[in-house]
Amino acid sequence: MSTVERAAPARAAAHPATRRRLRDREWVWGYAMIAPLVLGLGVFYLWPVVQSVYYSFTEWTLFGDSSWVGLSNYEKLFTDAAYGKALRNTFLYGGLSLLGIPISIAVAALLNTKGLKLVSFYRTLYFLPVVTMPTAVAMIWTWLYNGDYGLINYALSLVGIEGTSWIANPSTALYALVLVGVWTQIGYNAVIFMAGLQSIPSHLYEAASIDGAGRVRQFFKVTLPLLSPSVFFVSVLSVINGLQMFDLVYLMFRKGNPAREDTQTVVSLFFSRAFEEGAKGYAAAMAVVLMLITLLLTVVQFRMQKRWVHYA
Amino acid sequence: MRSGRLWPVHLLLAVGAAAMVMPFFWQVLTSLKTFTEATRTPPVWIPSFEWSNFAKVLAEGPFLQQFGNTVVMTVGRTLAQLLFCSLAAYAFARLRFPGRNVIFIALLSVLMVPGQLFLIPQYQIVQGLGWLNTLPGLIAPGMFSAFGTFMMRQFFMTLPAEVEEAARLDGANPLRIFWSVMLPLARPGLLALGVLTVLWSWNDLMWPLIVNTDPEQMPLSAGLSALQGEHMTEYPVLMAGSLMASAPIIVVFIVMQKQLIQGIAFTGSK
Amino acid sequence: MTGKTWALVCAGALVAGLAGCSSSGGGDSDGKVTLTYAYWDEKNQGAAMKKIIEEFTRTHPSIEVKLQFTPNKEYWTKLQTAAAGGSAPDVFWMNGPRIGLYASQGALMPISDQIAQDKVDMGKFPKSLVDLYTIDGKQYGIPKDFDTIGLWYNKALFDAAKVAYPDASWTWDDVRAAAKKLTDPGKGVYGIGAMAWPQEVYYNTIFQAGGYVVSDDKKKSGYDDPATIEGLKFWKEFLDQKLSPSIQQMTDNDPIEMFKSGKLAMWYDGSYDAPQYAKTEGLAADVAPLPAGPKGKATVIHGLANVVYAKTKHPKEAWEFLKFLGSEQANKIQAESGAVIPAYEGLQETWVKSMPNVHLQAFIDQLPDAKPYPVSKNTAGWSAAETDAITKAFSDGQDVETVAKQFAATMNAALSQEK
Repeated sequence: MSTVERAAPARAAAHPATRRRLRDREWVWGYAMIAPLVLGLGVFYLWPVVQSVYYSFTEWTLFGDSSWVGLSNYEKLFTDAAYGKALRNTFLYGGLSLLGIPISIAVAALLNTKGLKLVSFYRTLYFLPVVTMPTAVAMIWTWLYNGDYGLINYALSLVGIEGTSWIANPSTALYALVLVGVWTQIGYNAVIFMAGLQSIPSHLYEAASIDGAGRVRQFFKVTLPLLSPSVFFVSVLSVINGLQMFDLVYLMFRKGNPAREDTQTVVSLFFSRAFEEGAKGYAAAMAVVLMLITLLLTVVQFRMQKRWVHYA
Repeated sequence: MRSGRLWPVHLLLAVGAAAMVMPFFWQVLTSLKTFTEATRTPPVWIPSFEWSNFAKVLAEGPFLQQFGNTVVMTVGRTLAQLLFCSLAAYAFARLRFPGRNVIFIALLSVLMVPGQLFLIPQYQIVQGLGWLNTLPGLIAPGMFSAFGTFMMRQFFMTLPAEVEEAARLDGANPLRIFWSVMLPLARPGLLALGVLTVLWSWNDLMWPLIVNTDPEQMPLSAGLSALQGEHMTEYPVLMAGSLMASAPIIVVFIVMQKQLIQGIAFTGSK
Repeated sequence: MTGKTWALVCAGALVAGLAGCSSSGGGDSDGKVTLTYAYWDEKNQGAAMKKIIEEFTRTHPSIEVKLQFTPNKEYWTKLQTAAAGGSAPDVFWMNGPRIGLYASQGALMPISDQIAQDKVDMGKFPKSLVDLYTIDGKQYGIPKDFDTIGLWYNKALFDAAKVAYPDASWTWDDVRAAAKKLTDPGKGVYGIGAMAWPQEVYYNTIFQAGGYVVSDDKKKSGYDDPATIEGLKFWKEFLDQKLSPSIQQMTDNDPIEMFKSGKLAMWYDGSYDAPQYAKTEGLAADVAPLPAGPKGKATVIHGLANVVYAKTKHPKEAWEFLKFLGSEQANKIQAESGAVIPAYEGLQETWVKSMPNVHLQAFIDQLPDAKPYPVSKNTAGWSAAETDAITKAFSDGQDVETVAKQFAATMNAALSQEK
């Protein structure tokens, strides 16, 4: 995943065009070397976008015939209660998953403590959920959340709290999902924050400490502002990932789960409409709208970054 | 600061790490229990080492076949990405040809589009080729990556121009320079991209669910999902299956940790 | 496989925006034909399927049959996408809720002519099942098996609570009384499992209460009918009185597993799950006919059929195989495995004897009271919403009547769109 910002190639400085003799055939080599990639991305990614947009104006029968229906798929989106619910769930999920960012910053700051030993050991442990297969993650947490035999409810019972069937209870299911999402993201985000922290020049801390700032004050006055580009990057990423939520929802909330409609995301709804119910045209319209939402949110985030992101 | 005063930091980190690792601990423990033990309260802490849970996973589904599929899929996608992305990235970074920037930006626009927009046509292409329920169908779209190209291009641009200048004066063509001069220098970048791709590919779920519904042709991620469909709430078996499916990638991570962390840190830096 | 060249041509064509590439696979060069046969129950029926194919290939050496197993949850998704792409299996399992759609969309090969030509006696199969797979006067499938629902009970729990075993004379009141006595919160034992499953659970009581799911003319939902609602309330009472685990609990822990591990004393389930219960170690289970409701006895009957894909490349061989699947010989193999009640006349006895430790006869005895599984032309158009609605209705704090009536409106709208 990347951001718009990186799309603008800042190549003036790095490009050694000056002394190079322009060869007649350089362009042939250039085209030849990009050809496989351009063909692959063109066939499997770029052209499909065009096709999908076209499909969003068509209707498909169950077995694959399609016909032009104009805007009716988009009209249907406005009246589809399941889609409205999925939008709400998706935004709620995306928003709540931002709560993982402060935890990740704390972990990164702790790991970045000068003179700390065992850093890579800790990092490995925090990173384990990131590399674990989502299918496995879903199974493990489904079991932990079990209302009768789950470890979580057992732990709660020790302190006198009676738990619930966390992922079958419509009022807790989405939050249970957010917790799993955050758990899988902490290690990843912490690594990005550690890189951000390490790029903060130490003389700034020295200056702050001469001014009499304690460690907490230093954190808020020096660390956080200088970390803001990383925070920005991670929050854009979190929101985009949140909008894309699929694996865990698909695996943890199967058919017959009473909390299913309270946890379906736009992408899981897209999946069942397109590939389980065969409504590919309607699903394509959902995907197009999701793209517009993603673009809009990204633009908003970039607009807002001017207010709080400090580029050193 | 003296390390003696670091114990509060250690304490905080250890508590956090315990919370991160606890689910895995519980997974391993449950995988060794009988169903009765798993559903006992208070929980059983010393399991009866019910290895038959693992045997059941191996016996009931084509687990080994799926393991093989996952390896082929992961290796195929990774090698292809390393080759195609670095080849194009070098051209974008160092060669001059008309339309270079326009093409590059057009390719990068792929990164801005949610994956669902590709899925339906990708499915049709694979179906049109007769590749549903085959390994080529599983691998094909994942062989190309705009992200990988961008990453490798950035990497090539950090390399000094002098090294290739010598080869150029010797009359070597760009492909040769790429292959024998630049690629060896790009090893760290290739490793980072490689580990990221391996990780993504091994764990990928949605594409396999769509194109390979035949258990014999599924990778582990989708196979495990099917196992859950069959065994519903037979938790010891499910834990054994999930452990076996995710263990290989965890081992890869522990071995290649440095490259992976570098790759991720790179994506976070500007 | 037609090779890489073809793939590249196709890829090129797609770039140019041309559609319509399909590979032209087919028979092998040595004249041997390979058929694919898809099914969804490996656990109970995989062994019988393999044996049937073994028998078939012995008498038909020029035909090879490849079994393709897909778990039930993914089966229809896969079949549908494959059918859309022209690459569905040659022969596959079909059920009542889907037959209308698949037949009307032209995905299945009509077999009436072949039946007449080869003089296949359809009278050997239960009429309700033959009718189920006849759409607009054409036959599309040969019945494979049938199933009814029974009251499974845990003998040990009944003995411990000193409750007499259920028998054919039981009514709803007997179930209510027994559930109360059998429930033991201290041990985590519940009298009965009131799961929101249609076929196994609430369809049966809807019929026993005199209600209906879809009207005979397939135009109206029965969910606003007072009798139908009474059939649903029967279950809701158990949930409200905590004589059944909650829907949430049974989502966390599959009720089938709960019954097997002695957490449920009574459990309505189909004949198809008999092997699981008869063979679970440490479980002393038996089965009785479903108790009668206010309007008498009833059980849901449903049966699968084998069908041929309309676009199969080997219609002749596929028909040969289908005919064999419908033969007495193949049905006998099914009967002996105990997995399902074979559809072929006279073979039910073999099935009943396959698991002597449980009274499977209870499933056969209910045949005179059996009601066909409710379907319309596009059952899938409302069945998912039905599961969601009734799951909700059975959840804590919900009123069955309100939710059912709301769903009736949804279902009526879906039915009105069927042509």
